[in-house]
Amino acid sequence: MKTGNRQARLWAFLLALAIILSFSGPTLAVDDGARAYWKGRSGTQGVSFQYLHFNVNASDSQQFDPGAYIYPNSDADANIFIATWAPHFTLFNRPSFLAVNIAGGSVDADVNTNLIPPQYLPPGVSPGSSFSQSASGFADPNAQLVVNLFGTPPLRSGVDLLNYEPTWTLDAAGLLAFPIGQYNSDKLVNMGQNRWYGRIALPFKYHFGVFDPGHMTSLEVTPSVWLFADNGNFLGEKLKNDPMWQLEAHLTHDFTSSFFGSLDLLYRRGFQSEINGTDVGEGLNIGNLGFTLNYQAVDNLAIRAGFSSNVFGDSDLDNSIIRIQFVYAWHPSTENMKKLKSGH
Amino acid sequence: MQQQNQDNRPIIARRTFLKSASIIALLLCLSITSTLSGLFTRAAEAAKKNKRPNFLLIVADDLGYSDLGSYGGEINTPVLDNLAQKGVRYTNFYVSPTCSPTRSMLLTGTDNHVAGLGNMGEFTNPNQMGKPGYEGVLNKRVVTVASLLRDCGYHTYMTGKWHLGYKPDEIPHARGFERDFSLLSGGGSHFDDQWNVEWQRPKAPYTEDGRPLEKLPKGFYSTKNYTDKMIQFIDESRKDGKPFFAYMAFTAPHGPLHVPDDWLRRYKNRYDEGWDGIRKKRLARMQELGIVDKGVNTADRLWFVPRSTALTPALRVMLGRKMELYAAMVEYMDEQIGRVFEYLKEIGEYDNTVVIFFSDNGAEGNDLRAMLAGRVGSLGFLHAMNNFAENGHNYIGRKGTYAEAGPGWAQVSSVPFRLYKGFLTEGGIRSPLIVSGPGVQGAGELNKEAILHVMDITPTLLELAGCQHPATYKGHKVAPMQGKSWVTMIEGKIQSPRTSYDWLGWEVFGNRAIRQGDWKISWHYRPFGTWDWQLFNIAEDPGEQYDLSDKFPEKRKVLIALWDEYVKMNGVVLGERSPFEASRKALPDPVPEFDNYPPVRGVEAIPYEKLKELLGK
Repeated sequence: MKTGNRQARLWAFLLALAIILSFSGPTLAVDDGARAYWKGRSGTQGVSFQYLHFNVNASDSQQFDPGAYIYPNSDADANIFIATWAPHFTLFNRPSFLAVNIAGGSVDADVNTNLIPPQYLPPGVSPGSSFSQSASGFADPNAQLVVNLFGTPPLRSGVDLLNYEPTWTLDAAGLLAFPIGQYNSDKLVNMGQNRWYGRIALPFKYHFGVFDPGHMTSLEVTPSVWLFADNGNFLGEKLKNDPMWQLEAHLTHDFTSSFFGSLDLLYRRGFQSEINGTDVGEGLNIGNLGFTLNYQAVDNLAIRAGFSSNVFGDSDLDNSIIRIQFVYAWHPSTENMKKLKSGH
Repeated sequence: MQQQNQDNRPIIARRTFLKSASIIALLLCLSITSTLSGLFTRAAEAAKKNKRPNFLLIVADDLGYSDLGSYGGEINTPVLDNLAQKGVRYTNFYVSPTCSPTRSMLLTGTDNHVAGLGNMGEFTNPNQMGKPGYEGVLNKRVVTVASLLRDCGYHTYMTGKWHLGYKPDEIPHARGFERDFSLLSGGGSHFDDQWNVEWQRPKAPYTEDGRPLEKLPKGFYSTKNYTDKMIQFIDESRKDGKPFFAYMAFTAPHGPLHVPDDWLRRYKNRYDEGWDGIRKKRLARMQELGIVDKGVNTADRLWFVPRSTALTPALRVMLGRKMELYAAMVEYMDEQIGRVFEYLKEIGEYDNTVVIFFSDNGAEGNDLRAMLAGRVGSLGFLHAMNNFAENGHNYIGRKGTYAEAGPGWAQVSSVPFRLYKGFLTEGGIRSPLIVSGPGVQGAGELNKEAILHVMDITPTLLELAGCQHPATYKGHKVAPMQGKSWVTMIEGKIQSPRTSYDWLGWEVFGNRAIRQGDWKISWHYRPFGTWDWQLFNIAEDPGEQYDLSDKFPEKRKVLIALWDEYVKMNGVVLGERSPFEASRKALPDPVPEFDNYPPVRGVEAIPYEKLKELLGK
């Protein structure tokens, strides 16, 4: 009997699941990503590194990112990296994971001050002029805890994984960002937000067909709300923001056992800004569509690339996002089995 | 007052006369009607009584001896269990260790070496080519029971697997079946994708009513569609009052293990325990049912199959999934057989139908998928790549997959016997047998005395139908039947059609055996045998664990002489090659297996749930 082959297939299967780790989008301008809320076996850990390039052009609007007040007639380019560590575990007998995100990078903005009230101009900038600003360094780190509420049993062992054939699942997720990122109150452009903020989400997904590598299809919908504390020193003023409502959705499909694609949707609404009690600009209403391709290069490593751009909502806030991501995941059992097989 | 005529005779009033006449006529009519009615009723009853029985012959493909509930299995088979309660179960029924030889004997009543399947067509040796009896298809030296029953006034229907020839004069329609819906080859996908097990014929060849079927109906699933067709065939001709012979040759549970989607998880986690535990439970139930006597030697776990209790829980789940599919296929077949029974009851024919159920050989434990796929770069491999490459744990059982239960589970299906399909051990050639219907005496009984053979079925059906087996058929000389009719046995007049002096012989792939009374000799390639004759007492040692050659050399000699007679009588030509000839290099030599060796002292038996808890993390 070819027990060895069966073992190999078993571990390949376990890895395929383990590697589908969850990474919460650490910067507020991007989504969590396709298959972000799939659960791995307890004890699985993953690290991810992703590079994002944003390009934003605001013709008449005021804001794009909840952390960045975007002036009208401005352009911004950002190169962001996000490093994530995500351990999977069982919490209250429910499959869960924590995603700790550290982001950083640089942002360059060109701003025309024609439409800006003089009191909101940075020191030394004359009304009617144009100016450029840059920021670089770490953004506010955040951590998100995700706990399954329904549809996924605790995945403590290989047996649990083998028996796992989900149909629909519902999670609860809470994210908290820590205001320790780079912030200069004299500058319009910063990496950090100088305030506490967080998110509550209810990730839901439905699995179609067979839950087996190469055959998996899922619809994932994550409604969430972002909540913000005040920034008491926004150019010396007090910045408040309404909650931002967000709907993220992905339709994912396996093309092969090591390659899947996803159609992505990210819609945001709300987030009306108020400075010293006065509304500034209008609330956000923007929807991005995009796609993601994910390739499982080897047992532990997946490479993901994606693109999205606004296609509905406010047409005067053009943006595009390019993402490249590397995900490395492991489980002690898998690694130990490799050691045994290789004779170490 | 009476009127008088001219002769002074009283004249009865016309009215009175008419009235009286009417009453007399009425009484006469009633009397005649009553008499006629009685006569007609008695005639109808007599006709009904004399009506020839229908025959429903149901053959499972690669079903093991102990799989049915009524034989000790845990698989849910209520329909066949109920049939067993209405009929009789037999424990000593023999078939060939592989498919087409069994089918050739079933349909002709003679030995496979006579009927053309001296070897399976797919494995005919160079030195067997051209020899009579090695045509690889049902030859013209035999006539099928279907032809004879058809000529004798029966409707003859077949659905399912034929595996006895492909050419127009070899297919079911040409060999006696008026109507058929048949898979001509030995196996293939159970779904409508229609791939065949053989790369030489990548598309599975089907016929319907004698015509090649280019495409299977969308949504086809073998067991379901074979059942639908059989019901349709019977229904479309039932009004002419002729009896029928219906041959349902299911392809379940032959690999690939395929079941409809809603049956995939029917047995979810039921086999996670592993084969060792399930084997023990089956054996206990078989002893309880009386199928296996307590105290006899039953087969060890196969020496090349790991102790399942030593496998990781995850691996047990993966291996168990295959048995889940197998069990689901068996239960699905049982359910479909139930549909046929219900239909027969609806049309009032069930009580006039003799039902015979058995399996064509032992459970499959060989890695047929690997054999078919061959080596990387071969045409077989290309065929496998294109049709059945999927093996995902949660995906197997569906279209495009090829899962098999494997030797670990095949030995469960073979309890209490050794080995499985392909071998002349009891695990390869002993099949469950249920016979039920009009004239079958002893409802619910278990007959452990009768030594029966699949060759007996043709003579039994012919006798029940009142038909003869001819010496010539359509200008061809016909080989005589070697089987023995069961009619007097099923009528309860005798316990077995064979005496202790009668003997049976087998040969397939060079493996060979003879059984006479309780004694059996068998010859197998190493490491399954010794490349020499071994002697077993089957009554005391059905597991064929102890070779008694040294203890009873004379008995061995007698049986070897019978083997020589068998070869002569049937024209056996031993092949130069065998699929088993290289097994010795692939497998270790057999050693006795002990469930508790090496011992785990102090914790002799760790409950599975506890083990999962301990190791699952």
